[in-house]
Amino acid sequence: MPSGRTGRITSDTRGGWTASISRRKLLFKIVATWFMVIYSIATIFPFYVLFIRTFVSTKEASTLHLWLPPSQEIHLDAQIGNVAVFYNLDLRQVKKDLGIKGYVAPRDTLRDIAEKNNISLDTIRDYFNRYGIFTGWITLTSGSEFWSALVRSLIIIAVSLVGICFLSILTGSALAGLRRRYQTTIYNLYLLEMVIPPMLIVVPQFVMVQYLQGLLPGTDQPGLTRWVVQILTVILIFIKGGAFSTMVFTAAIGAIPREIEESSQIDGANRWQYIRHILMPLLKVPIATVVVILMPDFWNRFLEPYVYLDQANTTVLPLIQGFAGKYSTNFQVIFTGVFISLLPLVIVYLIFRRWFIRGVMAGAVKG
Amino acid sequence: MVAIPLFRTLQQRRVAEDVVLLAPQLLLYVGLTLLPFLVALPMLFTNQTNFQHTHPDYIGFENFTRIFTDPIVSREYVDALRRTVVFTVLNYLMVYVFGLSLALLIYEVGFQSAFFTVVYLPMMASALAVGWMADMLFSQSTGTINLILKELGFQRLVDINQPSGVAIILPILTGWRWAGFNMAIFLSGLLSIPTETIEASIVDGASYWQRLVKIYFPQMVPSFIIATVFCLIGSFGIFDEAIALGALIGNQEARFLAILFFIYAFTGNKLALSVTMALQTFVPLVVVAVLLQRLQRRLEYH
Repeated sequence: MPSGRTGRITSDTRGGWTASISRRKLLFKIVATWFMVIYSIATIFPFYVLFIRTFVSTKEASTLHLWLPPSQEIHLDAQIGNVAVFYNLDLRQVKKDLGIKGYVAPRDTLRDIAEKNNISLDTIRDYFNRYGIFTGWITLTSGSEFWSALVRSLIIIAVSLVGICFLSILTGSALAGLRRRYQTTIYNLYLLEMVIPPMLIVVPQFVMVQYLQGLLPGTDQPGLTRWVVQILTVILIFIKGGAFSTMVFTAAIGAIPREIEESSQIDGANRWQYIRHILMPLLKVPIATVVVILMPDFWNRFLEPYVYLDQANTTVLPLIQGFAGKYSTNFQVIFTGVFISLLPLVIVYLIFRRWFIRGVMAGAVKG
Repeated sequence: MVAIPLFRTLQQRRVAEDVVLLAPQLLLYVGLTLLPFLVALPMLFTNQTNFQHTHPDYIGFENFTRIFTDPIVSREYVDALRRTVVFTVLNYLMVYVFGLSLALLIYEVGFQSAFFTVVYLPMMASALAVGWMADMLFSQSTGTINLILKELGFQRLVDINQPSGVAIILPILTGWRWAGFNMAIFLSGLLSIPTETIEASIVDGASYWQRLVKIYFPQMVPSFIIATVFCLIGSFGIFDEAIALGALIGNQEARFLAILFFIYAFTGNKLALSVTMALQTFVPLVVVAVLLQRLQRRLEYH
């Protein structure tokens, strides 16, 4: 790093001039360190606030909460209808959980319900206190909606990553070196993909995909075929965006000495055997680069799943955005959804941060 | 068994193998990116209103002129264009405010992997989540930053639901999200500068500003171009953040161009018009971006 080099140059000379330089360098170091600390705090702050807001109930939203709010005691004089709206409760589920057989009027208070159905006040209190600050988390994780969306997201990401790496390695091995005219032409064609805004193609693409899906029997009503076809559509659209991976693999394979391929040919290996047994093991680092850049991209892609998947059959992000319509006044549930949507990726990122940094820097060189 | 000489030379055989290797991804790419344009071409000259409208009438070039002739469309388009251009300009500024300054800082201080990890962290949040964070932090009555400001005794609060609020907050948060990405681009540009030139300038007594303008920046031009291309395409197509701010459920201030085209096509019964307007708006942009890409590759090879 250049700072070390400056140090070596100035340390050779003595006198007031260099003393002022080293004082300035020390000052710079102090200011820079402070700046980095403040920037780091400012960067983590929104994530922290989001975490806290998952525990702040909507009626508390206009008071400032910078740490976990205390758990709230349920008011036994509150009307069940209001409590249900407030905590996103399904009244049928509540009746089942508490063993209530008869009709529950929304205007009944919790105390009324306890008296009418012979349930002790403590049971009622324990049952509703559980929701308190955890309403968002319970609402999201109790149903199967979120978990199945998560599974669909993971399937799409895993298949897309494997697919895009495999196809781009094939492409890269044919383009490596960029010596022939058709190689440069195709390479430039892939570069074009990088500069096409998604909104420019999504509508024509949708028209075409709808037409093609219409040709398949069984896609017009909900069912396994429709599910598979929709998921597959999103996967194929993810895989076709191969500009970045093609660039990385073309450069990486171009840097491998030609002698290796020639010697494998002399030993009688054909092109596929060379790719499978020699090239792929050599490409671990470029594969990691592509994965760490594209995984967040696929996870965070909203437009294509939103357009191509049914709302009942969608991935995590469109599901969370769907909550905004469903629970439009309940910020707690929405913020919990947003927080959960970024939690898995952030955990993966923090665990594999070294790979991410290395991959990002390698990717930046390719541009 | 005698192998049938299918290819006369090894050269030909290699080209044939290349074709087989290239085919799968190329077919997918051409089929899903370039073919839709061809399919959409006839649609541009019709009055197709939605996806179920299968037998539209031929109306000539009316879709192309409707931006100028239809007062409602014209007003909606100009409003969306103005918002998008303002956002793009401010967001481009943020590329340098965040990306370039952080890269220069890391270059001078030395590589700190912990700091890099933090700077790149927001890239893990989706654009949608960033839109929701804007709402969470800067909403008039419930935004956490507004509540802090109120606690500190400030009267003037930032409001994400005001035009000026969206215009200022969204670029800052987008710049913050892309900070790590842009920093990596600029840092790789800085690291490719031969160290001899930097050492020589230090020995000759050049000030930091002189070094920046005369040595760093001229040799970082390819990085500037890459960052420009990414920012241009990304900001002009801003969509997810606006969705989180409620652009599809009535927030007029978040109606950027991509949102307008989306509404026209999917709910507004103006399908053919939407495709035409998207082409009219984005094709010049793509041409500029391609020219910049060319320029950058030429610079890298010299």
